[in-house]
Amino acid sequence: MRYVKISKENTYKFLEHLKATGALYAPQKISDRFYDFCAISDVHDVEFEYDRTIRPPRRFFHLPDEKMFNFDMTRHELTPVKTQAEHIILFGVHSCDIVGLRIMDAEFLDEQKDSYYETRRKKGIIIGLSCLPDEYCFCNVRRIEFVDAGFDLFFHELPDGFLVRVGTVTGHKLVDPHPELFEEVSADDTKNMELFEEKRSSMFSIYGNWDNLRYFLELRMDHPMYDRESEICLGCGNCTLTCPTCRCYDVKDLPAINQVNGERVRFWDSCQFRSHGLVAGDHNFRATKKDRFFNRYHCKNAYCPETTTSYCVGCGRCTYFCPAEINFKRNLMEIAGYRGAV
Amino acid sequence: MQVQLKKDNEYVPHIAKLIKKTQMTEKETLFEFMFEEPEIRDLFTYNPGQFVQVSIFGIGEAPFSISSTPTRKGVIELGIRKTGDVTEAIHALEVGARSGIRGPYGNGFPMNKMKGHNLLFVAGGIGLVPLRSVINYVADRRDDYGKVTIFYGACLPEERVFVDEIEKVWPNIPDFEVHQTVDECHTTWQGNVGVVTTLFSVCAVDSANTMALICGPPVMYKFVVRDLLKLGFARDEILLSLERRMKCGIGKCAHCQVGHKLTCMDGPVFTYFEAERLMESI
Repeated sequence: MRYVKISKENTYKFLEHLKATGALYAPQKISDRFYDFCAISDVHDVEFEYDRTIRPPRRFFHLPDEKMFNFDMTRHELTPVKTQAEHIILFGVHSCDIVGLRIMDAEFLDEQKDSYYETRRKKGIIIGLSCLPDEYCFCNVRRIEFVDAGFDLFFHELPDGFLVRVGTVTGHKLVDPHPELFEEVSADDTKNMELFEEKRSSMFSIYGNWDNLRYFLELRMDHPMYDRESEICLGCGNCTLTCPTCRCYDVKDLPAINQVNGERVRFWDSCQFRSHGLVAGDHNFRATKKDRFFNRYHCKNAYCPETTTSYCVGCGRCTYFCPAEINFKRNLMEIAGYRGAV
Repeated sequence: MQVQLKKDNEYVPHIAKLIKKTQMTEKETLFEFMFEEPEIRDLFTYNPGQFVQVSIFGIGEAPFSISSTPTRKGVIELGIRKTGDVTEAIHALEVGARSGIRGPYGNGFPMNKMKGHNLLFVAGGIGLVPLRSVINYVADRRDDYGKVTIFYGACLPEERVFVDEIEKVWPNIPDFEVHQTVDECHTTWQGNVGVVTTLFSVCAVDSANTMALICGPPVMYKFVVRDLLKLGFARDEILLSLERRMKCGIGKCAHCQVGHKLTCMDGPVFTYFEAERLMESI
């Protein structure tokens, strides 16, 4: 891997160049508690020290709602929608979200490719950023606190700038035209990265490895936690909408008022909604809130074969943004008997 | 009217014409569709147990098991119950009307693996729709498979589907045995009364070299599987076809997720070995 260094001041210049390359999105503060990936007009608005964005980066490639094709109901003619694709540059993506995107890729770019996702994803440039965990984070026990794939560049915080890992050919192409912005990595820089990583490791509230969690979930299917916590759950779907690896969508036909034309659209759905498991004849495979609550715990803790990690990346969003303050991490620890601070 | 082959976008269906409607019961009708483009008609083939997505533009799209057999090319037969928006719109179609069809999706039954085995079919209600595809496939390739036993149960005699085949066609095929039952007694009904599992006491089933294929309402699976296990069937000799609300058919929308499996990609046909571990699967 190639390593370069960039000063904080030059980072802003580099962001200006990125802005000229395509649509640049980076974390910004949007309210007292919340951050989001926003379109950047002034590069000085970029937040380098943010905890988590309310909306996960998957929304740039798997749109919250998307027109699939237009139809003519009388002549039965279908017109595909041409997916617009400009370069989307995501700056400041944490490792959990990078793995989240890799999981989305695994699901959407398999042998049955999703053409809408593929068109956008091909134009996506992912620039990672190191972070320090808060009490909601548990990416370390998910084995994804340090990523080695899924990014074009990765910025590691140093006292006077960033040590940048170049992950792809695209990454090289972003760095190469600007030799004036980058310098060689010194032994001191490497030492500083080591110190940052050491500090970062020491800040997690729990340690260990949760690879055996899914088996405890299977062995303790009737654990009382599900009754207790699903009782509190509002069924609002915030946990799935903010999740970087949830991808459920529903499809709807929208006929135009002339009853001739129309469009088929798809939009994000949530397994926490009653309609999710409903089939013909009013049978519902997940009729109760507890069924739906249980489903999410098991879905998120299954393993993605491509990344060999659980679908949950430990980002903490489902807990941080839960209006009922249901603590996913704590509930999982309770089931598996893991020790540590919650 | 010209629709291009759009292989780069799996979500865009091909246009098919309804060529025949046969009412089977008050709620169920058998629909025969044919793709408009001859090229697609020739290319389209499937495995028994697979499903297609049917679109009524402006209303929506829904998944349906294919009821015909790929050994009889040309038309796609779909046995459909009128139960929701899309199915009501399909029932309202007149012969000659157009709709969208894409597929086939799912794994279907392991027709090669089942070769040389005796087959026991246990169908409840419209669970016969996908199993009929396998039954007629086996009938057309009779030498490849052993003895066939069909157990069919319905709530009422008038709710049975494919009655002609059950009563007149299949019993006359060599080494085919058909047993029927209804849940409720009826003055005109001379046959067995009771749920489908009561047929296990009417007809002795030998589990040796036999695979069991099950499809029916969700409540049926548990009881049928329990009896099959008692008869000595191994977990991978029991094949279940599961129903879910597949929206995309290609493993993306995750509506058909059961545990960590997707019914549209990993199924809809699962061995009991696979399904046993999946919560809410049966």
